[in-house]
Amino acid sequence: MSRATQSVVVVGGGTAGWITAGRIAARHSTRTGGVRVTLIESPTIPSIGVGEGTWPTMRNTLRKIGISETQFIRECEATFKQGAKFARWVTGAADDFYYHPLVLPQGFTKINLAPYWHRDQRGRSFSSAVCYQEAMCEQGLAPKLITSPEYAGVANYAYHLNAGKFAELLRQHCVEKLGVRHLLDDVTGVNAAPNGDIASVTTVANGAIGGDLFVDCTGFSSLLIGRHFGVPFIDRGEVLFVDNALAVQVPYEEMDSPVACHTISTAQPAGWIWDIGLQSRRGVGYVYSSSHVDHDTAVTTLRNYVGPSVEGLSIRRIPIRSGHRRLFWQNNCVAVGLSAGFLEPLEASALVLVELSAEMISEQLPPCREVMDVLAKRFNRTFSYRWDRIIDFLKLHYLLSQRSEAFWRDNRDSSSVPESLREQLDLWRYCTPGNHDFTSNNEVFPAASYQYVLYGMGFRTDIRYLEHTLTQADHAREQFEQNERAIQQALATFPTHRDLLQLVRQYGFQPL
Amino acid sequence: MNRLIALDSAAHRQLRVDPAKVLAQAAGLNMLPVVLGEFLKLCVHYPIVLTKNGATGQFTCVALFGFEKQENLFWKQDRWDALYIPLQLMRQPFFLAPGQERMVCIDTVHAAVNRSLGDAIFDERGAETAYLQQVKQRLAALLEGEEQTDRFVRKLLALELVRPMRLEIEFANRQKLRVEGLYTVDEARLKALPAQAIVELHSLEYLAPTYTMLASLGHIYSLVQRRNECLR
Repeated sequence: MSRATQSVVVVGGGTAGWITAGRIAARHSTRTGGVRVTLIESPTIPSIGVGEGTWPTMRNTLRKIGISETQFIRECEATFKQGAKFARWVTGAADDFYYHPLVLPQGFTKINLAPYWHRDQRGRSFSSAVCYQEAMCEQGLAPKLITSPEYAGVANYAYHLNAGKFAELLRQHCVEKLGVRHLLDDVTGVNAAPNGDIASVTTVANGAIGGDLFVDCTGFSSLLIGRHFGVPFIDRGEVLFVDNALAVQVPYEEMDSPVACHTISTAQPAGWIWDIGLQSRRGVGYVYSSSHVDHDTAVTTLRNYVGPSVEGLSIRRIPIRSGHRRLFWQNNCVAVGLSAGFLEPLEASALVLVELSAEMISEQLPPCREVMDVLAKRFNRTFSYRWDRIIDFLKLHYLLSQRSEAFWRDNRDSSSVPESLREQLDLWRYCTPGNHDFTSNNEVFPAASYQYVLYGMGFRTDIRYLEHTLTQADHAREQFEQNERAIQQALATFPTHRDLLQLVRQYGFQPL
Repeated sequence: MNRLIALDSAAHRQLRVDPAKVLAQAAGLNMLPVVLGEFLKLCVHYPIVLTKNGATGQFTCVALFGFEKQENLFWKQDRWDALYIPLQLMRQPFFLAPGQERMVCIDTVHAAVNRSLGDAIFDERGAETAYLQQVKQRLAALLEGEEQTDRFVRKLLALELVRPMRLEIEFANRQKLRVEGLYTVDEARLKALPAQAIVELHSLEYLAPTYTMLASLGHIYSLVQRRNECLR
C-alpha cells in the first residue's frame, strides 16, 4: 500500500510560503479535515519583502485562496498596475520610452497586427497603435470603475503591493479561514528517511515536525533544497549581469498625490531603476552590475533619480544572484520562491513564479508517495522551461538597446545571449512573433509581450518576403481605428488611479 | 450657487409648485431610487431591480422606466402614464437638509416652482397647506425608507441572493438591445436557502419585498410592449 499525502509542511513564512500554503489548503480541504498544512515561520529571520509587482494572475490566486479584492487593496496598500513603462532603454534620450501594457494588441486572437503596423502605421509607436492602455497609463487613469465587480477588470490589470503587509494578510487568512497550522519556530535540522526523503524537520520549540511533502520557502538560505539536498544553483549571471539592488521607500509629497498605474523602469548607466507606486509611498530601487559600477556611484545615481526628497531616507542594499536551482523538486521536497531562484525584477517574475509553482503543487498534489517522483519530474521540466523563457525574455530587453555604456555594450555581446533567444531573434528579423513561436502549455510570456518589447525597443521585422500574406488590410485598418476609438472611450470613462483607490477605501467593490 | 434654501413661511408664502412640471423633470430618466415601503405600489407598474450607484459602486433599489439612459416609457404626451409615482419624484422640489435637524428645504429655482400655478405651500396666513404636510410625510418616509432599504440590500448581498440580469431584447423593429448594469434576486439561491435564513428574512420583513422584486420582473415585458407601441 502506498502512503497517501496527508500532511504538507511549508518551511518559511514570506509571501511564497503563505501563497503556497493557501493554495494547497483551499484546494485540499484543510479546514474540514483534508490534507493538513503546517507552516513553520522563523521568528528571528526577517523576510526579504521586495516582490512588490505582480502579474494579472494574482487576481486568480487571491480569488482561489478566498481573499476579497477590497480587503486586499485596503490592507496591503495595493494599487493597480497596467503594465510597465520602459524609459531611456533605447537611446537613453529624455523622451525615449515605450510600454509593455497588459492588454493584448487589438484583435490579437483574430489578427496579428504587427506586420500591418510595419507597413501601414509608420511614425506611430507599436504599443500606442495597437493598445489603448498606454494612453490610460500616461493619463494616470485606473483600469476599472468603482462599479466593476471584485477582480473584474475593464482593462487587464495586476497590482503593486506592500510585500510585508501582503504576507500578513495571507497569514491571517490562511490561519483563520483555511485551517493552516502556524508555528513560529526556528528549524535547526533536517531528518532524512531511509529512502532519502525528508522525514521531519527539527524545531527549537516544537520538536520534530513530520510530513509527507515539504515546501522549501526559506528564501535565499534555501535550507532544504539547497543545504540539505545539495541541489546545485545554476548561476545565470553570464546572461543577466545585475548583481545588486539598492532599495528606498519614498513617501508621497501629498496624501492625494497621483499614483502611477504602471511600473516605471528607467535605464541607467549600469542597470535600471524601478519605480512602483503604492498608496502612501513609492518603492524605488536601482538594480545594477557591480562589475560596471561601484556601490557609491550607484547610490548617487539612485539619489539623483529620487531627487531632494531622498534626504533622510534609508537606502538598503541587497546583493542578488541571478539564477535558479538545477532541480526544484527533489524527493519529497519542492522549492518555491527565492529558495528556487531569483531574477532581476524587470518583468515582475518573482511572484508569478511563486503563483505558478503554488498552482501546480496544489492542482497536482501527489495523491501518494508512489507517484510523487513522476509529478516531481514533470514539475522540474515545467519550471526549467519557464525559468529559461523568463531569462530569454529579460535578456531581450537589453539586447536591443542602443545605449553606449560598457554595461549595455557587454549586454549585446553575443556570447552573453542564450542560443534559444539568438535563434528566435534571427527568425523575427523576417517574421513577426506569433503564437507558433510559443507552443508549450507552460509559456510564461505570450507572443504579444515579445511584440511589445521588440518593437518598443526599435526592432524592425523585414516583412517584404511575406508581404503577399497580408491579405487582411481592411480588417487590420478597422482594428487600428477600433483602437483609436478605444483610447478616446477609455480617456472619457475611467477615474484617476488615486480617485479609484480612495473610492475603494471608502466603499469597496461589490462581489458581483 | 446654493439652490437649497430652508423653507420659510414668510419668504416662501407666495410660492406654488406645479405638479405637472414636477413630473416633467423625470421625462428623461429611465430609473429612480425607491424604498421598501412603496414596493407593493410600485410593482403594479414597474420592474423593481438593483443597480449600482455610479459614484460609489453601492447597490441601490430602483424602479425601471426604460431600457436606455433618458428613456422614460411612462412619460407619454406630457403626462405620467401610471397610477403610482415613486416618492423620490413626488417629493420634488423639497429636500431634507442633512444633519440632526432635518430641516425642510426647497429648491427655489426648480422648474416646478412658480407664483401662479399649482399647489400652494402656505396659505395666506402662513400656515402649512395640506399639500406641504403631504410632502413632509413623503420626505419622512424616504428618510426612514432609504436606511431600511440599504439594510435590506446589504442582507440580500450577504446571503448572495443578488445576480446580474442578462437582458437581450429584440424590439418590434428588429432592433436588438443588450441592457447592462441591472441586478435582481437570484431565485434559485432564494429557493435553496436554509430554513433558518428564510425565517430570518421573514422576521426582518425582507421576505415579502424579495418576492415582490421577483414578481415585478414581469413588467420587463410591459416595458418592451410600451416601447414597441412607440414604434408603431
